[in-house]
Order: sequence, then C-alpha cells, then structure tokens
Amino acid sequence: MKKVLVIDDNPTIVELIKYAVNLHGAYQVVVAYDGVQGLERVYAEQPDCVIIDVKMPRMDGYQLVRCLRGDSRTMDTPMIILSAMTREEDQMTGMLSGVDEYLTKPFKPSALNAAIERVLRLTPGDRQRRMDDLVQSLAERD
Amino acid sequence: MRRLQILCVDSDQNACDRVQQSLASYCAVTCVTSLSEAKLSLEMHIPDMLIVEVLIGQENGLDFCRFVRRHPTLLHLPIMILTSQATLQDKVAGFQAGVDDYVIKPFDARHLLARIRLLSRIKHIEQADPGY
Repeated sequence: MKKVLVIDDNPTIVELIKYAVNLHGAYQVVVAYDGVQGLERVYAEQPDCVIIDVKMPRMDGYQLVRCLRGDSRTMDTPMIILSAMTREEDQMTGMLSGVDEYLTKPFKPSALNAAIERVLRLTPGDRQRRMDDLVQSLAERD
Repeated sequence: MRRLQILCVDSDQNACDRVQQSLASYCAVTCVTSLSEAKLSLEMHIPDMLIVEVLIGQENGLDFCRFVRRHPTLLHLPIMILTSQATLQDKVAGFQAGVDDYVIKPFDARHLLARIRLLSRIKHIEQADPGY
C-alpha cells in the first residue's frame, strides 16, 4: 500500500484530506502538523507522496519543498501543495520551489486523488524535464 | 542578458571553483573564503544572490546569514545554503537563520544552475508582492 504524508497545521483539514484520499484510493496516511515535523516525518516514514500546506508554523510549505528538492535523498519525492492561497503568484512560487502539483482549497476529493495518481507516475526524468522547461521559459522571458 | 552576480562564501577553494564552473553560463561568481572577506565584499558591492557554506573554517555561515537578514540594505538578498551539513537540525537551523534555499553537497551542476535561476525568480515574485 502506498504511503501518503499529509502536512497541515489545521487538524480538521488533515482529517478531511485523510478521508478524501481514501474515498477513491487506498493509501496509508501519516500526518504532521507543521513544516519541521513534516520534514522529520519525510525522513522517518519515506512516504510515496507528500501533501503540503503553505502557511504553517516553523517552516512554510515552500521552504519545505525547496529543502526536500535540495537533498538527493528526497529530490524525487512526489509532492503536492494543497493550499488556500489561490493567486497566480502563489502557484508560481510553489512550482518554482519544485512542487509537482499545486491544488487549492476547497478541494474536490476526486481532484486530489487524480493529482496523487499523476505525481506517483512521474519519473526522475519527467521531473528533470519539467524543471528544464520551467528554466527555459524563464530564460525566454528575461 | 545580464549575468546574475553571486557571492559564494566557502572556505574550500575547490568547492568555490566547482560553483564558479557550474554557474559560468549564467552567473558571475565571486568567491571568498571567510566571513570577514564576505562582509568586506558586501561593503564594496551588493550581489544579486549569496551562496553560503555552513562550515567556513572555524566560523559558522549561518551567523553570516543572520547578519545579512538584520542588515537594512541587505536583508532581501536571496541566500542559498550549499553545504555538506545534511541533518534535519542543520536544515531547520538554516531556515531559522533566514535562508531561502538549502542544497546538499555534492551537487549536480545542472541542478544547481536550475535552482539558482528558480530562486532568483521566486525572490522577484516575493519582492514585487506586498502580500509577502
């Protein structure tokens, strides 16, 4: 069974996500309630996928994503941001930080499950190509 | 296209050389090997970004990061930690010191260059956005 780590400082949202991911799929869900605890759990649990809120105490979601992408042990961990921050700048910051998908709250369980399935299929090569494309698009704008 | 000006603070000259070579296509990298040299360099010229090792001889690169974050004209400089210090406590201490990115050595040249470019754009978004 695939393991999903949910990192969100709102226990109600955590419970909603736990319910939602198992509505369409079958995952073992582990949880953390702030960025630092989330970082600890990534190394301890080695999840197959991480769902991350942005606004959290101690370490925010963007920092957490960059921290994980900067370490060869976790640089290919599938990551989804699930945040109430809906502006284009927020989503851009998430993608530039290295997240695979950026979903906004409120969310549909089916959309979250589809995103989990997509990120689980990504290979290190896919992720490298996405980063190269992003860098290339920035270069064309400069 | 203007090359990104980077100040790299690392007491290991080989590591500095590797950073310079890796980023040569996009950045002009100035290397210094101590915190006093780094502060002197910042007095003369403010770069676009800092790359800082945590272990700089007997000094701590995070002290330098905290100095930058408290400095009125430097506090918004993007800071990337590039280090062999890879424990969870090291990373948390790095972000608590105000760094923007934390990359573990050894690094892949292509990956480092991409992250530098992405971080540069993130900081542009942050600085243009009063919501941050």
